[in-house]
Amino acid sequence: MTVGVSTPRTGAGSRAPGRTYRAWAIVTLGGASVAAAPWVIGEGAQRFLSEALLMLAMAQMWNLLAGYAGLVSMGQQVFVGLGAYCLFFASIWLKVAPFWVLPLAPLLCAAVAAVVALFMFRLREAYFAIGTWVFSEVVSLMISKTERLGGERGVGLPTARLVDPHWLEPLTFWISAAIAIASVFGTYVLLRSRVGLGLMTVRDNEIAAASIGVDVWRNRFIAFVLAAAGCGLAGAVSFTATLYVAPGFAFDPNWVVAMMIIVIIGGIGTLEGPILGVIIYFALREALTVVFGLSAGWYLIGLGLVAIAAILFEPDGLWPLVRGHLGGDWLSVRREPPGPLRLAEAAPVAEAASARGLGATPGDS
Amino acid sequence: MIWVETIINGILYGGLYGLLGVGLALIVGVMRVVNLSHGEFIVLSAFIGVSLVGAFPWVHPLVMLLPVAVIAFGLGVALQAVLINRVVTRPDPFAAILLTFGVAVVMRNLMVEIYGADLRHLQAGQLALASTGIGGLHVGVLPLLILGLSVALFTGLQLLLTRTRFGRIVRATADHRDVVRLMGVNPGRVYNLVMGLSLALASVAGMLLAIRASFSPYSGVERLLVAFEVVVLGGLGTFWGAMLGGIALGVAELVGLRLDPNAGPLYAHLLFLVGVLLRPSGLFRVRT
Repeated sequence: MTVGVSTPRTGAGSRAPGRTYRAWAIVTLGGASVAAAPWVIGEGAQRFLSEALLMLAMAQMWNLLAGYAGLVSMGQQVFVGLGAYCLFFASIWLKVAPFWVLPLAPLLCAAVAAVVALFMFRLREAYFAIGTWVFSEVVSLMISKTERLGGERGVGLPTARLVDPHWLEPLTFWISAAIAIASVFGTYVLLRSRVGLGLMTVRDNEIAAASIGVDVWRNRFIAFVLAAAGCGLAGAVSFTATLYVAPGFAFDPNWVVAMMIIVIIGGIGTLEGPILGVIIYFALREALTVVFGLSAGWYLIGLGLVAIAAILFEPDGLWPLVRGHLGGDWLSVRREPPGPLRLAEAAPVAEAASARGLGATPGDS
Repeated sequence: MIWVETIINGILYGGLYGLLGVGLALIVGVMRVVNLSHGEFIVLSAFIGVSLVGAFPWVHPLVMLLPVAVIAFGLGVALQAVLINRVVTRPDPFAAILLTFGVAVVMRNLMVEIYGADLRHLQAGQLALASTGIGGLHVGVLPLLILGLSVALFTGLQLLLTRTRFGRIVRATADHRDVVRLMGVNPGRVYNLVMGLSLALASVAGMLLAIRASFSPYSGVERLLVAFEVVVLGGLGTFWGAMLGGIALGVAELVGLRLDPNAGPLYAHLLFLVGVLLRPSGLFRVRT
């Protein structure tokens, strides 16, 4: 996806009214079906969907880092784990239901990420990737050694009893859905903002971006902190569902393996890619483990092979292919160039400028 | 006295860590690619070693280093020729990272399916237990042998790269991949051999480490992190720096374990993070 010229449309930035109605209809319908889902589908299905939705949120965060900010983090599981631990211990120590202390998880993760970024950003590319991974291992080992935090055995979540058991599953499902939707649209809004433009210019050409005054470090910092908060929130909810957290599960590198594979298969650097990736990821998992009865190991082997094939033959992932068939703009963050209307307005200015020998391109304003 | 012993053991152990990292330092230096499946290949060579020792029990495990290194060399050439050469010329620096990561995921889980997830150990008989006294200090014979072997391999690699025609071609390819084509060098083929060499060195380290510490298919992650820390601490792409980085990590780990028996590799990781914080370009910058 590039910031730049696409086919000119009718007006500058104006959208056909039909499209707005359709968008609202989709939003209303989607909201209503999420709200009604717990009365329609069973608890197992809700649990499955919650898992997929949280995975989508995490993958979207990883996509923001790798696809837009140029930061391949292989230690993103540290925020999944920290979010979970923050939720568990805040809930246990304050003796309140876990959902009330949920906002603390992303706050803690954002604060940790802000500090970690100060020194991890000295490392570039693969070195950053493994540096974050080492950081995650250190946090995991330290928690394993701290008996007050449950040590290697981990802790349960007794305060989950404070939630009416009939509502536990639906609440988890609604929160997961909200987080997934927020991750997709939040990233969309972020990328449409100045920060997003800055990120994409840096991704496309770092030196050129820095030379036109884009603050490379600051934009990356914002993306890293937001991605940490997102993963922390998703991780916290994810472990609320299992009612148990231990370092081996919370800081499992398989979290980041899943995020990476989903993003690579779906399409790195697109907002729709992780959605498509999550669908493929869970469809493959159900197909291989439930239908064919294979072990989780074979399913990971299959996913790894699909990811390798994707990198070799479709480096942009499957979404560009799917979009080619479907057509349309979907969640493209591409900006409309000024249309003919603006061109007409700018014409006298351009003429005046070229008369003075300066020259001006219509897209500059 | 116990501290002197701990530090000496750390240095001996660190020579092995240096060997884990030097293969990675080699490919980082030559093709600027970090092979994230390095750890899985280290573990795979240990499994191959265990299988060979099981199949030929009358041959000493240390003799098995040679066939395992040859197999690892072949695997490295195949990995590079079939997969990595296809992405190494792409402008996107992440393609190779993500590709080797995919390879690592596949290999790790294949090893779990084939060998099971249990902890394994490579038996080295009497040699593993023998120790010698130097000035009242007890030092294992095997660790001394391992350090000697590491130093020999480092020296050999250094001579290979600086004194031979092959080494000249490798260095030229590292400097200008496109220019060496004009001299009739095929960079892809050079890369194949370099990856083979990298994994052959890694396999020796993997076998020796399997004698000293138990391993499972999941150990690859730990091995990769150590190898990578060695590369970064040593200064990117330098060999003797990698040796010193390995020794620093080995000492940190054993001193840490002495202070705090259930620390695992925590103190080595902490040394790495502190090192990165203070000197991002490596603690030991040695020109090669």
